[in-house]
Amino acid sequence: MASSSSSGLTFKLHPLVIVNISDHYTRVKSQMNHSSSATTTNDDNNNGAQPRVYGCVIGIQRGRTVEIFNSFELLYDPSTHSLDRAFLEKKQELYKKVFPHFYILGWYSTGSDAQESDMHIHKALMDINESPVYVLLNPSINPAQKDLPVTIFESERISVDHVAHLKPSDGGSAATQCQYPLPSVVVFFNFSDMNFALTCLAAHLTGIHSAIKMLNSRIRVLHHYLVAMQKGEIPCENSLLRQVSSLLRRLPAIESEKFQDDFLMEYNDTLLIAYLAMFTNCARYNILSFLPDFVSF
Amino acid sequence: MDSSIAQKTWELENNIVSMETPPTNSTADTSASDAIFFYDEGAQTKFQQEKPWVNDPHYFKRVKISALALLKMVVHARSGGTIEVMGLMQGKTDGDAIIVMDAFALPVEGTETRVNAQADAYEYMVDYSQTNKQAGRLENAVGWYHSHPGYGCWLSGIDVSTQMLNQQFQEPFLAVVIDPTRTVSAGKVEIGAFRTYPEGYKPPDEPISEYQTIPLNKIEDFGVHCKQYYSLDITYFKSSLDCHLLDLLWNKYWVNTLSSSPLLGNGDYVAGQISDLAEKLEQAENQLSHSRYGPLIAPPPRRKEEDSQLAKITRDSAKITVEQVHGLMSQVIKDILFNSVRQSTKTHAGPSDPEPMIES
Repeated sequence: MASSSSSGLTFKLHPLVIVNISDHYTRVKSQMNHSSSATTTNDDNNNGAQPRVYGCVIGIQRGRTVEIFNSFELLYDPSTHSLDRAFLEKKQELYKKVFPHFYILGWYSTGSDAQESDMHIHKALMDINESPVYVLLNPSINPAQKDLPVTIFESERISVDHVAHLKPSDGGSAATQCQYPLPSVVVFFNFSDMNFALTCLAAHLTGIHSAIKMLNSRIRVLHHYLVAMQKGEIPCENSLLRQVSSLLRRLPAIESEKFQDDFLMEYNDTLLIAYLAMFTNCARYNILSFLPDFVSF
Repeated sequence: MDSSIAQKTWELENNIVSMETPPTNSTADTSASDAIFFYDEGAQTKFQQEKPWVNDPHYFKRVKISALALLKMVVHARSGGTIEVMGLMQGKTDGDAIIVMDAFALPVEGTETRVNAQADAYEYMVDYSQTNKQAGRLENAVGWYHSHPGYGCWLSGIDVSTQMLNQQFQEPFLAVVIDPTRTVSAGKVEIGAFRTYPEGYKPPDEPISEYQTIPLNKIEDFGVHCKQYYSLDITYFKSSLDCHLLDLLWNKYWVNTLSSSPLLGNGDYVAGQISDLAEKLEQAENQLSHSRYGPLIAPPPRRKEEDSQLAKITRDSAKITVEQVHGLMSQVIKDILFNSVRQSTKTHAGPSDPEPMIES
């Protein structure tokens, strides 16, 4: 399995797409289960059946980066084994009105592995986008899993005989690069309770602490791996060494005078704001000393 | 694992209830709890015909929003920047609760200037609902949402009249307001769900609402209409698959905690808040100087108003400071982590080392 995307594209997948696909799947499954449990008399072994849902993903491609922002459902026609074209165009029109910058990047489906029949759908989409992506979400819940069960496939064109094959790009880090500065993800994972200064301070620092712990553990893993490579226990992998070396050369991240100046200015601004707040607080309680005794606060 | 602790804390803070029983191996359980996703057409039409809300303006008390709807609304609100955006929510009712399953954006901007913004979007709505029904989303429109970037979650005069109209002709209907700017700066979703009282109805008691700071230029609009609607409690839910996926996303999210820079992103908003606070302070000072020279003449209620005004200002300034300090803490930590590395092994690189890859 190739360790990185062969075409050199970087994919960024917005968590909204993941939740969208999951919701689509859950809906279809619950409608299916409800109607099937009403008609069958034996116990629910229909729950094993996992329906396949299909849809379209939209986003922006800038140079070598493909950012998938959103998705919508599509109708699958089992008789022709293809997606309903008119429906797709209608939906695309609607989405264009609200998100004019996004265009169709590919399609999605659920299941555990890509199948041959998927190629058919993939080819059909090629006239909208010359190299569509195929996002596959595995809906089975596996508690032991550490990584997102999302794989992104892209097709590879062999110009000689125009045969397109599906090649999975890195299922691990490249495809599921959810490093999205999403406000909603910030919402989900940042803590701030404005009522109690101490608890919110503790919460904020706990969040940063956990993040740093994760960073530390990941660095340890890398370090361990490199030491093992040095000792000769593991065969040397040059591409990894190059990546680590370039990563190290990036530190320190920013080290210019302009940065120091701006940083200190920001620091001073914050201190000023704290100072002002302190003043306001004192002023409120000091007013008492200026007004006659019978004025009550 | 720390991510699970962090997640539990967040879930507690944000009131997330996941629609699942404690983990078992039986798949039957998960399908039963994901049952909220099933749309029972018969039950819904029956409810529509009964109309229990006609007699009780306070009938609906709770709102349940799905993770997907929340995500979509917040992302849409955020994408608008400083412009108000609006959209529709789809879902169903369940006793005294309104359940929001999904939301979609409408191609309309700036509802504050037009009462009839929805008339423009009707065609879009009809088309979208039709295609949705075909694709398996059977719910009907159950409310509308819009954003108030930077000035809090409440209903303005125009919003109140729009919602009153909705509650006459499109019941059951809910109004939701989101503030994307405050969401980012506070780290918690700023969202409010409201229903208006019918014309002339006086609520039996004063509802206690959570205090939020409103900018001076909007405070009049807020004050005039704040008695005409009441807010509903919001809880969130997610499916079992959502749970699983969000759990996995936590493993990636730590990168974001370290890489985000809230101070830089929200600079305008903070500056606006501080200048607004300064104006409020001036106003309070003027009123205070009046009562200072005439404490015997000024009636007692007026003094109460001023001191609570000063108390409000103090609270607002404390809030701004806390958020700033948190942002600064993150910046300082990032600086220590990534900037204080000393290149001690510069000469260590052997001649056989290949040229480092240029990061694109």
